[in-house]
Amino acid sequence: MASHNNTLAETAGPEVSLPARKGHFKSDGLQLRLGILLILLTGIGPSLLGNSYWEHTFQLVNIYIAVAVLQNFLFVDAGQKSFGQGAILGFGAYGLAIASGIHGLPLAVGVLAAVGAAMLGGLLFALPALRVQGFHLGFVTLSAAIVFPQLLIQFDDVTQGINGISLYLPALTKPVVFGLSGLTLLVTAVPIAALLMHYGIRNARLGRRMRLAAESAEAARSLGVRPGLMRALGFMIVSAGTGICGALYVPTVGFISPQGFLVELSFTLFFVVVVGGRGQLLGPIIGIWVIYIVPNVLLVQLVEYRLLIYGFLTLAVVIAFPDGLVGTVEARRRKRFQRGGGEQGFRLAPFTETLEKIAPRQVPAEAAPILEVRGAVKRFGQVVALDGVDLQVRPGEVHGLVGANGSGKTSLLNVISGFSQMDGGSYSFRGRDVTRQNAASIARMGLGRTFQTPRIFTGLSVWDNIQLGLDARPTPLEPEMAALAHRFKEAYGEDNPGLLAHGQRRLLEVIRVVFADPGLVLFDEPAAGLSPAERAEFSRLLRQLSKRLGVAVILVEHDLDLVWDIADRITVLETGTVVASGPPQALARDPAVQHLFVGGAHA
Amino acid sequence: MLEVRDLMAGYGDIPVLRGISLHAKPGEILLIGGENGAGKSTLMRAIAGFIKPSQGTVLLDGRPLTGLPPEKVAQSGLRLVLDGHRVFPELTVYDNLRMGVAARRGDRAGLAKSLEEIYAVFPILKEKAKARAHDLSGGQQQILALGQAFVAQPRVLLCDEPSLGVAQALLPPILSFLRRWAEGGTAVVIVDQHVKISLPYADRAMIVQRGEVVLDCPAGELDQQLANMHEARQRTYAES
Amino acid sequence: MLSEIAVIVIRGVAIGALFSIIAMSFNIVHNATRILNFAQGHIFILGGFAAYFLADNAGLPTWLLMLVLITLVIGVLVAAQGWLTLLPLRGNTSEQDSWMISTVSVSVIIAAILMLLYGPFAYSVSGPVPAFRIFGVKTPGAFVLAIAAMLGWYCLLSFFLRRTFTGLAISALSQDFDAARAAGLGVRRLQLLAFGISGMIAGSAGFMVAPIISVSPDAGMRYVLNGFIAAVVGGIGNNSGAVIGGPLVGVMAMLMAYKVGGAYQDLASLIVLVVILMFWPQGLFGRAAARRV
Repeated sequence: MASHNNTLAETAGPEVSLPARKGHFKSDGLQLRLGILLILLTGIGPSLLGNSYWEHTFQLVNIYIAVAVLQNFLFVDAGQKSFGQGAILGFGAYGLAIASGIHGLPLAVGVLAAVGAAMLGGLLFALPALRVQGFHLGFVTLSAAIVFPQLLIQFDDVTQGINGISLYLPALTKPVVFGLSGLTLLVTAVPIAALLMHYGIRNARLGRRMRLAAESAEAARSLGVRPGLMRALGFMIVSAGTGICGALYVPTVGFISPQGFLVELSFTLFFVVVVGGRGQLLGPIIGIWVIYIVPNVLLVQLVEYRLLIYGFLTLAVVIAFPDGLVGTVEARRRKRFQRGGGEQGFRLAPFTETLEKIAPRQVPAEAAPILEVRGAVKRFGQVVALDGVDLQVRPGEVHGLVGANGSGKTSLLNVISGFSQMDGGSYSFRGRDVTRQNAASIARMGLGRTFQTPRIFTGLSVWDNIQLGLDARPTPLEPEMAALAHRFKEAYGEDNPGLLAHGQRRLLEVIRVVFADPGLVLFDEPAAGLSPAERAEFSRLLRQLSKRLGVAVILVEHDLDLVWDIADRITVLETGTVVASGPPQALARDPAVQHLFVGGAHA
Repeated sequence: MLEVRDLMAGYGDIPVLRGISLHAKPGEILLIGGENGAGKSTLMRAIAGFIKPSQGTVLLDGRPLTGLPPEKVAQSGLRLVLDGHRVFPELTVYDNLRMGVAARRGDRAGLAKSLEEIYAVFPILKEKAKARAHDLSGGQQQILALGQAFVAQPRVLLCDEPSLGVAQALLPPILSFLRRWAEGGTAVVIVDQHVKISLPYADRAMIVQRGEVVLDCPAGELDQQLANMHEARQRTYAES
Repeated sequence: MLSEIAVIVIRGVAIGALFSIIAMSFNIVHNATRILNFAQGHIFILGGFAAYFLADNAGLPTWLLMLVLITLVIGVLVAAQGWLTLLPLRGNTSEQDSWMISTVSVSVIIAAILMLLYGPFAYSVSGPVPAFRIFGVKTPGAFVLAIAAMLGWYCLLSFFLRRTFTGLAISALSQDFDAARAAGLGVRRLQLLAFGISGMIAGSAGFMVAPIISVSPDAGMRYVLNGFIAAVVGGIGNNSGAVIGGPLVGVMAMLMAYKVGGAYQDLASLIVLVVILMFWPQGLFGRAAARRV
């Protein structure tokens, strides 16, 4: 770390300093350590105490912890609400039990069968998730949880659903170290592994991109991520992990029957995640303590009231503490120790300085257009939004796109970025016809965009929000930009984006797009809500992007003063057709443009 | 009367209004103009309770409305007619008008009388009373939306872009209806991007730009002031 | 052969009528709030339990009196549930899907209470309509009640939503939420009313058809799922679609039961659900265009 600072000092020199403050944005590290500690407690504690009843009970608890940790990951990081994780666990358990318990296949094959079966079950959830979300998916997973135990009984000749399957593995119960059996070690290791996986993926590129897809499908596509793929991947990762838990479930219980995988189990796992705190690493573990361990182990006489207690607890948590137990504590902590915001919340100066140091990318005057739209037509039912629009944008050009409400500006942006398909015409980007390409592929070719409401994710730190752009970058960073990225990381790695003013969010979103190294960026009403100072800063930034980085810009903006100030060319749309196009000076007195100005028709 | 003081509001975290003050007196029409995206609709929605202002107050006859939900604002006597001739498409014309009673203060019995009045001005509403609202043209829907507001008999009427999507021929009857409505003792605020059409019907005019009031003058002076402003802008554009 | 098909169709339509009723109870809440009450199946079963304890073998007058009473009580209970469900949704909080969790937990609470009070048994109830014979096959009288309840509620709802001021206001709410608020309609009150009506629909239906349903704590899940499928097939929010979708799903389930055995009914439902969602997520009959900006 120190050496980094030295090199930075050399390159950064007397530059604008970025803030250095104390406080952490997330407590993931602490929660991870606490979680491992608690898992060790329930995992090996009872064995060390020599209480075999508790040892057995807590072995099962630890498996449930692992499943709940995975469900927590699925719920928040992949954004998928599943009411059917108990069934996935059952798939895994029956995979092993049928392969090894009934057919006597080697354990390794059995474990593979468990993982395979669970993933097959997960596929049942993942496929509909490609098309639908929300309550639709909720019902699919719920009905799977209901049907699963019934199927086990129906296919009795395959599953021995009526009699159950016994599978004891005496080898696993023999002490290995410190009097701890192999089984005890395994049921301790698996939830820890699940927790480490959650932590690891969340803090890696994959996890960030998954979260991005979960929070905003549009933003994900504009950064080259396919949301459907991410959802399916989330289901598959979780199913594989849950399958391993299922495999471990069999020797832990020694005997499995459909009774072990009723819909109540799925509900319990879901409630555990909600009560503990959705998205908090420690959440499912605390959730298990509150929902499962306390009523089942400490208050055994209350066991029949279990579901009632779960239901009421969950309802109370949703209404009174929507963040869950750990989430509420974490929200307090964050509020108390949060950093960021204010005038120093996000500063553009270091970025601007870095650009000054990079040699400007010269764009030859005769360079071929980076974007060429030919006769674009877009219809919505009877309404023709685009009626044969032609548009050419050259590298490094700032191209203003203006027109009244409903003139087709947004339709054109959506068509160019691949969010919707043209009904007629074609367009090429960087010399390739991309008319039928999807948004994510076009984004990966180097087309970036911003949104009317900046897509800044408050669950990620300011730096992680920038890093989403870096994650989408196909090329290595220039040394200057790498140094800049490092400075941003140092300065904003623990900052809360929730504290940023709107203008700072807007700039942050632009920096994110620029880090993805686009050839063309579409700006959708970027100046809305900017103060005069922010507006000036934004204009400077746009000019730098085009003149120094050679990025082409399409600017859809109502603020005509801004457009006329910075655009190289302006295209005017009216009811889906181009009515004027040319340099701003030439266009200022064009009759086709006058209606856009207040009082313009009076002149 | 309606009095708005130093209103700041926006969508989510986007600040759109940067401190707007205005007042509208019974019997007069205030016209608010401005370019696309200047914050006109946001202003209407902030006054009517759809957007919670971050700062500033809205007073109706001296009583604060700030922070009330839109349905309470409407019930207090301030009625916003949203832009885009919004009606309830699956309801009949008569039922759409009937819904206006929800915001009517005091007597609900006056419905029949209000209906008579509105039918007299716009016979089309009576002819099509049993038709579904989605079968009406844009202009007829705008008339229907205004008729629904008329049934409510508000003290203050806010109209967001009443001329948008309305056939040219229908504009004069709509605007003169608003004129007579105002003269009956209602404070009327019209928002319009193209001030030229509604200006002859207005008493005062304001121009909003980037969330701030840049012009505020009697309606008769607006033409000249705007022409000056526009000329100055064009000069800068041509020179840049 | 012909009589077999007739029996399948009659039974399918009758069972499907129950799904329609639940679908309609989904619809009114969904149209007013965009919420889907996962507890609707348990509310339906609650009506069945009420029939067992208050009106088993009762004469027609008692039965009718109890029907009215139970309908009102369950309506009030569900309105209260609606109040709880809508609590966290006030204002523009980032958490807009808490209702999924809270309605699921209410369904678990109802099932748990029934389980604690009455155990995991299925109670059999006899209703006021005697069994009769169609094509020589004995048919429970409650089949008629099921179809009557479906048509009755459909007509009642159509009348209410198209003719009465309050019903029109709920329709207006679902067609343009902002315009409804601008018009001064008391949104929250109407939404609670919609919850209440959904409770009345499901509760009364459960009461009326108690003889032909499994009156047990865990039966709610099956009905909520099939009701949801009927709603999806008919297009969520569309009552006419629900009246067609329910019997369609019912007949299909009966055909499955006839061809491969009744135990696969739930599996068949799951497959139908997945297929519909994969290929026709908007339902077979679509949904009246509604704007909600």
